Amino acid sequence: MCDSCGCDLTPDHSHDSKVIEVHQSLLAANTAMAEKNRAHIEKMGAVAINMISSPGSGKTTLLEKTIEALGNSLRIGVIEGDIETDRDAERIRAKGVPVIQLTTGGACHLDAAQIHKGLHLLEKEPGGDQLDLLFIENVGNLVCPATFDLGEHHRLVLVSVPEGPDKPAKYPKAFISSQLFIISKTDLLPYFDFPVEEAKAEALQLNPELEVMPLSSTSGEGFEQWLEYLTRVCGK
Amino acid sequence: MHEMSLVQGLLSQLHGLAREHNKSKVITVRMEIGPLSGVVIDSFQFGFDILSKEAPLTREASLVIESSPATYRCCGCGLEIETEQRPDACPACTETLLIPQGGDDIILRQVEME
Repeated sequence: MCDSCGCDLTPDHSHDSKVIEVHQSLLAANTAMAEKNRAHIEKMGAVAINMISSPGSGKTTLLEKTIEALGNSLRIGVIEGDIETDRDAERIRAKGVPVIQLTTGGACHLDAAQIHKGLHLLEKEPGGDQLDLLFIENVGNLVCPATFDLGEHHRLVLVSVPEGPDKPAKYPKAFISSQLFIISKTDLLPYFDFPVEEAKAEALQLNPELEVMPLSSTSGEGFEQWLEYLTRVCGK
Repeated sequence: MHEMSLVQGLLSQLHGLAREHNKSKVITVRMEIGPLSGVVIDSFQFGFDILSKEAPLTREASLVIESSPATYRCCGCGLEIETEQRPDACPACTETLLIPQGGDDIILRQVEME
């Protein structure tokens, strides 16, 4: 109890203290940087897609196949995010498109400041300053990346068939904040218990505006729809 | 554990506020964290308890977190439902497609310093 006023705030309550009303989002700095990134990406001529999924759901393979299919008609660039190694960037570089690798050194997500740095590095790569489509492959993690706007125009969440259909219910934020939900590795459907319609319904319950696209990078099933989507979002 | 990096952001904001207002000790920090923010309140508190000890400014600070409700708009009848827990269906028309709005904020509301 405070001796001078009798209030029951903290025991060391002092009358020299000052209450400051702040009302500012903790993400304000990230969001401001993300807006700058979006303007920067638009100046490059590109539409950016932030890819979010668990590790091993097939993001890099999807990118490889996408570059093979669209590399001649669209100028594609890639920013790779991983905790360590530039292995993913090496795989993309082998496909002949500008790519840079961001290693977060332990952090579980990319943030707008890292993408800001990444955009400047990408511009130094041959062909990296004029793009139609920029893919940002986030750190493999279905939780943390969902909170951080990177300056992307579209957000895509991937779940592969072996992971199981319960991911939307377990990790809602990634599905609420995305526009596209890809169910990948559908060539494995005969071997896993993955009721596609059930997963679709659960995701739509969280976000009725979500577009759902089952596909396989291996068999090519559903790929046409994906390529049409990309051409559409690029306005080409 | 992206809560740790959010706590780091909070602490640097507190240092900025202390400089601005010429204060040397944070007493209470009031946050508002929405149910759709993707932040686990216990993890945020845990991160704060550890990282706040690293600087004299925040060593004795206490953190108060309030959860703000989210609003769900029914795709069937348009009813807006304000709740912290996602409803299974619209209480008016039993529609299950409900669009979440708001509730994703992580806001520093108020700081008491001396």
